[in-house]
Amino acid sequence: MPIFSFLGMQYDFQWSVLWTGGHGEWLLQGIWTTLRLSALSWIIACALGILSGALRTVPFRPLRIAASAYVEFFRNVPLLVWLFVWYFGVPQALPRAAQDWLNTHGPEFWSAVAGLSVYHGARMSEVIRAGIQSIPKTLLEASVATGLSVAQAYRLIIIPIALRLIVPPITNESLNLLKNSSLAMTIGVAELTFMTRQIETYTAKAFEALTAGTLIYLVLCLTIALTMAQVEHRFRIPGLIVRVGRAEH
Amino acid sequence: MRRAVYFTMAAAVILGLATSAWAAETTLEKISRTGVFTVGTRTASPPFGYINKQNEWVGFSIDLAQLVHKNIEKKLGKTIKFELKESKPDTRIPLLTSMAVDMIAGTMTDTRPRRDSVEFSLTFFVTGAQFLVKEGSPIRGIQDLAGKRVGSQQGSTNERAIRERVPQAQLVVFPDQPAGFTALVQGRVDTYTNDGIQLWGLKYKAPNPNEWKIVGDFYTYEPYGMAMRKNDSDFRAVVNNALMEALENGEYFKIYEKWFGAKSETPYPLSDNAKNFLMMQVVPK
Repeated sequence: MPIFSFLGMQYDFQWSVLWTGGHGEWLLQGIWTTLRLSALSWIIACALGILSGALRTVPFRPLRIAASAYVEFFRNVPLLVWLFVWYFGVPQALPRAAQDWLNTHGPEFWSAVAGLSVYHGARMSEVIRAGIQSIPKTLLEASVATGLSVAQAYRLIIIPIALRLIVPPITNESLNLLKNSSLAMTIGVAELTFMTRQIETYTAKAFEALTAGTLIYLVLCLTIALTMAQVEHRFRIPGLIVRVGRAEH
Repeated sequence: MRRAVYFTMAAAVILGLATSAWAAETTLEKISRTGVFTVGTRTASPPFGYINKQNEWVGFSIDLAQLVHKNIEKKLGKTIKFELKESKPDTRIPLLTSMAVDMIAGTMTDTRPRRDSVEFSLTFFVTGAQFLVKEGSPIRGIQDLAGKRVGSQQGSTNERAIRERVPQAQLVVFPDQPAGFTALVQGRVDTYTNDGIQLWGLKYKAPNPNEWKIVGDFYTYEPYGMAMRKNDSDFRAVVNNALMEALENGEYFKIYEKWFGAKSETPYPLSDNAKNFLMMQVVPK
């Protein structure tokens, strides 16, 4: 291509390597594995996050300590280290029969799910805790003063507001989860990043392969981000939050 | 505004012309200019390139690369620093083409598709792919792989061969050798495949060598060569001359004896066939 030789690069672009020779199927398989891995981990992470996030705000101290221990233990170690622990470390502690069963049922994938969900569960827990704790106590007092019971106040007022507050940081954490799924390739999971490296090692066309990976991740993440923006917009409570100046839309 | 655009375009043209001339520097020119000869090699592939118990980075390929280094110094007529950088099957070619290293001296197999991207030196070692299994495993070779979990390294010729020839095997691909070997030790894979000589290295370096055995006939032919950038025949001549000198004056066989001899940690006698092949690569002076 003329412009690139002008810049002094000697590289022969061949975008067809992305779909010829079965490479297209590899990419699709990689995307599917990434989506499966991310979706499963996300569901478990949300469950763990809601549970421990809520537990960190209850008046009962032992539960608060247990939840804090979970969060601090798991979020303060790099995810890559956790993946190695879950793949090479944890199964060693299981009984032999369980290990043999696990070895024939995709240990790489399930170790990655465990690692991702527990790590991101800890991070989501912090987001949810911050959301719950940012609601002023006066709101609860006011709701109770209008005649609602505490349970009703939580169900009709506090929780709906809390959910709206946490949508942006949860979106952030969800995007992080999708992107962190790429680390699973270090324990042998054949997800999207692995497949782009595979194309690169088979064809030596690094630029094309990595561009494909970049664009696919970009599209996946932007889809999630834009969907969540729509969700935020649809469920907004007019007048609840401060907005400087009028929105253009 | 328009003048700024024209000025930027002019600067880009000049910069482009300047960089296009500069980017076509040969390897020897680069080594001479920077004073450093960088070699990419393995860190966990005994005995070709690995960190030994004394925490030194040593190996058969590294010793051969040092012979090349001496020849470069002779050719350029000045002292050049010798530096090592880690390279793995999936990073070797990008490291070369991005000029992060000048030569790859490790366990790289010379193959025709790879010759589209890099240039190879003479073959300095001959082996083939086999399988590493725990003692007592039912696997005897490539014929027993259907349904078994096979560990391999991403970017290696063995991974490709298994994928193409034994699609019924469950291929598990790791980024590097330590991960693959640990998976074998823990039973996450039934066997680990790599070039035979590297499997011998792993076996002898394991805490209990008798637990492991290497099975199967060579299912691929793996001639190891040193890799360098394309369109660089001067540098290739320097590398090949160094290897040919070493084969002729016996230096190569001294190094071979050091790493593969009877008293070494991975004994692997040189077959007559292999020795003839190596010697016949030496063209007359």
